Amino acid sequence: MNKDLLTPFANATCETLKLLLDVDARTGASEADGGSEDKSRINVAIGITGDVSGEALYRFPVDTTLEIVKTMSGMEFTEIDEFVTSALGEIANIISGNALTDLSGRNITCDILPPKILDCGELSSEAENTYICSAKIDSSIGEVDVILRVKTD
Amino acid sequence: MIWKDKYNIGVPEIDAQHKELFARVGSFLNTLRSDKAWEEKVNKVNETVAFMKDYVIIHFRDEEDYQEQVGYPERDRHKKLHDGMVAYVAEVSEQYEKYGFQEIHMQQFAGKLVTWLVNHVVAEDQKIADYARSKEGRS
Repeated sequence: MNKDLLTPFANATCETLKLLLDVDARTGASEADGGSEDKSRINVAIGITGDVSGEALYRFPVDTTLEIVKTMSGMEFTEIDEFVTSALGEIANIISGNALTDLSGRNITCDILPPKILDCGELSSEAENTYICSAKIDSSIGEVDVILRVKTD
Repeated sequence: MIWKDKYNIGVPEIDAQHKELFARVGSFLNTLRSDKAWEEKVNKVNETVAFMKDYVIIHFRDEEDYQEQVGYPERDRHKKLHDGMVAYVAEVSEQYEKYGFQEIHMQQFAGKLVTWLVNHVVAEDQKIADYARSKEGRS
Protein backbone atom coordinates (compact mmCIF):
# COMPACT_ATOMS: atom_id res chain seq x y z
CA MET A 1 0.00 0.00 0.00
CA ASN A 2 2.69 2.50 1.05
CA LYS A 3 4.74 1.69 -2.02
CA ASP A 4 1.67 2.40 -4.15
CA LEU A 5 1.53 5.86 -2.64
CA LEU A 6 4.85 6.72 -4.26
CA THR A 7 3.64 6.23 -7.83
CA PRO A 8 1.38 9.34 -7.91
CA PHE A 9 4.29 11.48 -6.66
CA ALA A 10 6.74 10.01 -9.18
CA ASN A 11 4.24 10.35 -12.03
CA ALA A 12 3.33 13.91 -11.02
CA THR A 13 7.02 14.83 -10.99
CA CYS A 14 7.49 13.50 -14.54
CA GLU A 15 4.34 15.17 -15.86
CA THR A 16 5.06 18.52 -14.21
CA LEU A 17 8.63 18.64 -15.55
CA LYS A 18 7.37 17.74 -19.02
CA LEU A 19 4.58 20.30 -18.99
CA LEU A 20 6.45 23.24 -17.49
CA LEU A 21 9.83 22.71 -19.10
CA ASP A 22 9.21 20.66 -22.26
CA VAL A 23 11.79 18.09 -21.18
CA ASP A 24 11.74 14.29 -21.29
CA ALA A 25 11.23 12.76 -17.85
CA ARG A 26 10.54 9.22 -16.70
CA THR A 27 10.77 7.18 -13.53
CA GLY A 28 14.16 5.46 -13.45
CA ALA A 29 14.83 1.83 -12.66
CA SER A 30 16.75 2.56 -9.47
CA GLU A 31 15.53 4.03 -6.21
CA ALA A 32 16.85 7.27 -4.76
CA ASP A 33 19.11 6.98 -1.77
CA GLY A 34 16.55 7.98 0.83
CA GLY A 35 18.85 8.76 3.69
CA SER A 36 22.17 10.15 2.59
CA GLU A 37 23.00 13.82 2.62
CA ASP A 38 24.13 15.22 -0.69
CA LYS A 39 25.42 18.77 -0.68
CA SER A 40 25.05 19.15 -4.43
CA ARG A 41 21.26 18.98 -4.16
CA ILE A 42 18.53 21.32 -2.99
CA ASN A 43 15.97 19.57 -0.82
CA VAL A 44 12.34 20.67 -0.72
CA ALA A 45 10.05 19.07 1.87
CA ILE A 46 6.27 19.15 1.65
CA GLY A 47 4.33 17.96 4.68
CA ILE A 48 1.30 15.73 4.09
CA THR A 49 -1.70 15.52 6.39
CA GLY A 50 -5.02 13.67 6.25
CA ASP A 51 -5.62 10.01 5.40
CA VAL A 52 -1.87 9.75 4.87
CA SER A 53 0.48 11.59 7.17
CA GLY A 54 4.13 12.23 6.40
CA GLU A 55 6.30 14.12 3.99
CA ALA A 56 7.29 14.25 0.34
CA LEU A 57 10.90 15.22 -0.17
CA TYR A 58 12.20 16.34 -3.56
CA ARG A 59 15.94 16.55 -4.18
CA PHE A 60 17.02 18.64 -7.14
CA PRO A 61 20.66 18.85 -8.27
CA VAL A 62 21.94 22.43 -8.26
CA ASP A 63 22.57 22.41 -12.04
CA THR A 64 19.07 21.05 -12.69
CA THR A 65 17.57 23.69 -10.42
CA LEU A 66 19.35 26.49 -12.29
CA GLU A 67 18.21 25.02 -15.62
CA ILE A 68 14.61 24.86 -14.38
CA VAL A 69 14.46 28.55 -13.43
CA LYS A 70 16.29 29.54 -16.61
CA THR A 71 13.75 27.69 -18.75
CA MET A 72 10.76 29.22 -16.97
CA SER A 73 12.05 32.78 -16.70
CA GLY A 74 14.15 33.02 -19.86
CA MET A 75 17.02 34.39 -17.77
CA GLU A 76 20.42 33.04 -16.77
CA PHE A 77 20.93 32.00 -13.15
CA THR A 78 24.35 31.13 -11.75
CA GLU A 79 23.63 30.61 -8.06
CA ILE A 80 20.95 29.49 -5.65
CA ASP A 81 19.21 32.50 -4.14
CA GLU A 82 15.78 33.43 -2.75
CA PHE A 83 14.24 33.67 -6.20
CA VAL A 84 15.47 30.20 -7.14
CA THR A 85 14.44 28.48 -3.90
CA SER A 86 11.01 30.13 -4.03
CA ALA A 87 10.51 28.90 -7.61
CA LEU A 88 11.64 25.41 -6.63
CA GLY A 89 9.31 25.39 -3.62
CA GLU A 90 6.40 26.24 -5.90
CA ILE A 91 7.34 23.42 -8.28
CA ALA A 92 7.33 20.97 -5.36
CA ASN A 93 3.98 22.42 -4.32
CA ILE A 94 2.53 21.90 -7.82
CA ILE A 95 3.88 18.33 -8.06
CA SER A 96 2.48 17.42 -4.64
CA GLY A 97 -0.89 19.02 -5.42
CA ASN A 98 -1.12 16.98 -8.63
CA ALA A 99 -0.16 13.80 -6.74
CA LEU A 100 -2.89 14.46 -4.17
CA THR A 101 -5.44 14.92 -6.96
CA ASP A 102 -4.44 11.47 -8.20
CA LEU A 103 -4.75 10.00 -4.69
CA SER A 104 -8.19 11.57 -4.21
CA GLY A 105 -9.34 9.50 -7.20
CA ARG A 106 -8.53 6.48 -5.03
CA ASN A 107 -10.53 7.91 -2.13
CA ILE A 108 -7.39 8.91 -0.25
CA THR A 109 -7.91 12.46 0.94
CA CYS A 110 -4.89 14.50 2.00
CA ASP A 111 -3.70 18.06 2.22
CA ILE A 112 -0.26 19.56 1.87
CA LEU A 113 1.68 22.06 3.94
CA PRO A 114 3.73 24.95 2.50
CA PRO A 115 7.11 23.90 1.08
CA LYS A 116 10.18 24.01 3.28
CA ILE A 117 13.53 24.55 1.61
CA LEU A 118 16.28 22.69 3.40
CA ASP A 119 19.89 23.79 3.13
CA CYS A 120 22.12 22.01 0.62
CA GLY A 121 22.56 18.46 1.84
CA GLU A 122 20.27 18.89 4.83
CA LEU A 123 17.52 16.34 5.35
CA SER A 124 14.47 16.83 7.51
CA SER A 125 14.56 14.92 10.80
CA GLU A 126 13.53 11.33 10.55
CA ALA A 127 10.75 10.26 12.88
CA GLU A 128 10.30 6.76 14.24
CA ASN A 129 7.66 4.49 12.73
CA THR A 130 8.16 5.92 9.28
CA TYR A 131 8.00 3.96 6.06
CA ILE A 132 10.33 5.37 3.41
CA CYS A 133 10.14 4.72 -0.31
CA SER A 134 11.78 6.58 -3.13
CA ALA A 135 12.12 6.95 -6.88
CA LYS A 136 14.69 8.50 -9.12
CA ILE A 137 13.29 10.59 -11.97
CA ASP A 138 15.53 10.64 -15.04
CA SER A 139 15.13 13.77 -17.11
CA SER A 140 17.07 15.47 -19.87
CA ILE A 141 18.08 18.17 -17.37
CA GLY A 142 19.21 15.81 -14.61
CA GLU A 143 17.97 13.36 -12.01
CA VAL A 144 15.39 14.36 -9.42
CA ASP A 145 14.90 12.24 -6.30
CA VAL A 146 11.39 11.81 -4.92
CA ILE A 147 11.32 10.42 -1.39
CA LEU A 148 8.10 9.67 0.42
CA ARG A 149 8.08 9.26 4.19
CA VAL A 150 4.82 7.96 5.55
CA LYS A 151 4.00 7.59 9.24
CA THR A 152 2.93 4.07 9.99
CA ASP A 153 1.49 4.40 13.51
CA MET B 1 9.69 35.24 -19.98
CA ILE B 2 9.23 33.52 -23.30
CA TRP B 3 5.73 33.11 -24.70
CA LYS B 4 5.08 29.77 -26.42
CA ASP B 5 2.31 29.01 -28.89
CA LYS B 6 1.21 26.07 -26.75
CA TYR B 7 0.11 28.58 -24.08
CA ASN B 8 -2.69 29.90 -26.33
CA ILE B 9 -6.12 28.75 -25.28
CA GLY B 10 -7.82 29.96 -28.45
CA VAL B 11 -9.79 32.84 -26.92
CA PRO B 12 -8.23 36.04 -28.35
CA GLU B 13 -9.06 38.30 -25.38
CA ILE B 14 -7.71 35.83 -22.80
CA ASP B 15 -4.64 35.01 -24.88
CA ALA B 16 -3.89 38.73 -25.24
CA GLN B 17 -4.14 39.16 -21.46
CA HIS B 18 -1.84 36.19 -20.88
CA LYS B 19 0.71 37.67 -23.28
CA GLU B 20 0.45 41.00 -21.48
CA LEU B 21 1.00 39.24 -18.14
CA PHE B 22 4.06 37.42 -19.50
CA ALA B 23 5.45 40.68 -20.90
CA ARG B 24 4.88 42.55 -17.64
CA VAL B 25 6.33 39.79 -15.48
CA GLY B 26 9.28 39.54 -17.90
CA SER B 27 9.92 43.26 -17.56
CA PHE B 28 9.58 42.95 -13.78
CA LEU B 29 12.19 40.16 -13.80
CA ASN B 30 14.58 42.16 -15.97
CA THR B 31 14.47 45.00 -13.47
CA LEU B 32 14.53 42.81 -10.37
CA ARG B 33 17.41 40.63 -11.57
CA SER B 34 19.55 43.45 -12.99
CA ASP B 35 22.93 44.21 -11.41
CA LYS B 36 21.78 47.67 -10.33
CA ALA B 37 21.61 48.57 -6.67
CA TRP B 38 18.24 47.93 -5.04
CA GLU B 39 17.75 51.68 -4.49
CA GLU B 40 17.93 52.22 -8.24
CA LYS B 41 15.31 49.62 -9.11
CA VAL B 42 12.89 49.72 -6.19
CA ASN B 43 10.60 52.36 -7.75
CA LYS B 44 10.11 50.38 -10.96
CA VAL B 45 9.59 47.18 -8.97
CA ASN B 46 6.93 48.95 -6.88
CA GLU B 47 5.16 50.22 -10.00
CA THR B 48 5.02 46.68 -11.38
CA VAL B 49 3.69 45.25 -8.13
CA ALA B 50 0.94 47.90 -8.10
CA PHE B 51 0.08 47.07 -11.71
CA MET B 52 0.04 43.32 -11.03
CA LYS B 53 -2.31 43.67 -8.07
CA ASP B 54 -4.92 45.33 -10.29
CA TYR B 55 -4.27 43.46 -13.52
CA VAL B 56 -4.53 39.93 -12.14
CA ILE B 57 -7.94 40.77 -10.69
CA ILE B 58 -9.17 42.08 -14.07
CA HIS B 59 -7.70 39.11 -15.92
CA PHE B 60 -9.03 36.51 -13.48
CA ARG B 61 -12.50 38.08 -13.65
CA ASP B 62 -12.49 38.00 -17.47
CA GLU B 63 -11.27 34.40 -17.45
CA GLU B 64 -13.94 33.38 -14.95
CA ASP B 65 -16.60 35.14 -17.09
CA TYR B 66 -15.45 33.07 -20.06
CA GLN B 67 -15.64 29.86 -18.02
CA GLU B 68 -19.19 30.76 -17.02
CA GLN B 69 -20.04 31.48 -20.65
CA VAL B 70 -18.88 28.06 -21.88
CA GLY B 71 -20.19 26.23 -18.80
CA TYR B 72 -16.77 24.98 -17.72
CA PRO B 73 -17.57 22.39 -15.01
CA GLU B 74 -14.35 22.98 -13.04
CA ARG B 75 -14.89 26.72 -12.69
CA ASP B 76 -15.33 26.68 -8.89
CA ARG B 77 -12.05 24.83 -8.44
CA HIS B 78 -10.35 27.17 -10.92
CA LYS B 79 -11.71 30.23 -9.08
CA LYS B 80 -10.16 28.93 -5.86
CA LEU B 81 -6.75 28.91 -7.61
CA HIS B 82 -7.31 32.51 -8.70
CA ASP B 83 -8.49 33.55 -5.24
CA GLY B 84 -5.44 31.91 -3.69
CA MET B 85 -3.10 33.88 -5.95
CA VAL B 86 -4.92 37.18 -5.34
CA ALA B 87 -4.66 36.56 -1.57
CA TYR B 88 -0.96 35.70 -1.94
CA VAL B 89 -0.23 38.90 -3.91
CA ALA B 90 -2.10 40.97 -1.31
CA GLU B 91 -0.26 39.27 1.56
CA VAL B 92 3.18 39.71 -0.02
CA SER B 93 2.39 43.31 -0.86
CA GLU B 94 1.36 44.01 2.73
CA GLN B 95 4.49 42.36 4.17
CA TYR B 96 6.67 44.14 1.62
CA GLU B 97 5.35 47.55 2.66
CA LYS B 98 5.32 46.69 6.36
CA TYR B 99 9.00 45.76 6.38
CA GLY B 100 10.16 48.75 4.34
CA PHE B 101 10.34 47.45 0.76
CA GLN B 102 13.09 44.88 1.19
CA GLU B 103 14.46 43.15 -1.90
CA ILE B 104 14.29 39.65 -0.40
CA HIS B 105 10.47 39.80 -0.35
CA MET B 106 10.38 40.62 -4.07
CA GLN B 107 12.90 37.93 -5.01
CA GLN B 108 10.80 35.32 -3.20
CA PHE B 109 7.59 36.71 -4.70
CA ALA B 110 9.01 36.69 -8.23
CA GLY B 111 10.24 33.08 -8.01
CA LYS B 112 6.84 31.82 -6.98
CA LEU B 113 4.98 34.10 -9.39
CA VAL B 114 6.91 32.91 -12.46
CA THR B 115 6.39 29.24 -11.59
CA TRP B 116 2.73 29.71 -10.70
CA LEU B 117 2.04 31.67 -13.88
CA VAL B 118 3.70 29.19 -16.25
CA ASN B 119 1.95 26.24 -14.59
CA HIS B 120 -1.40 28.00 -14.46
CA VAL B 121 -1.35 28.92 -18.14
CA VAL B 122 0.12 25.65 -19.44
CA ALA B 123 -1.81 23.27 -17.18
CA GLU B 124 -4.93 24.80 -15.65
CA ASP B 125 -5.99 27.20 -18.41
CA GLN B 126 -5.41 24.56 -21.08
CA LYS B 127 -8.10 22.45 -19.40
CA ILE B 128 -10.59 25.24 -20.16
CA ALA B 129 -9.44 25.25 -23.78
CA ASP B 130 -9.74 21.45 -23.98
CA TYR B 131 -13.26 21.62 -22.56
CA ALA B 132 -14.34 24.40 -24.94
CA ARG B 133 -12.94 22.47 -27.92
CA SER B 134 -14.65 19.23 -26.88
CA LYS B 135 -17.92 21.12 -26.44
CA GLU B 136 -17.60 22.63 -29.94
CA GLY B 137 -16.91 19.16 -31.30
CA ARG B 138 -20.08 17.80 -29.71
CA SER B 139 -22.34 20.63 -30.92
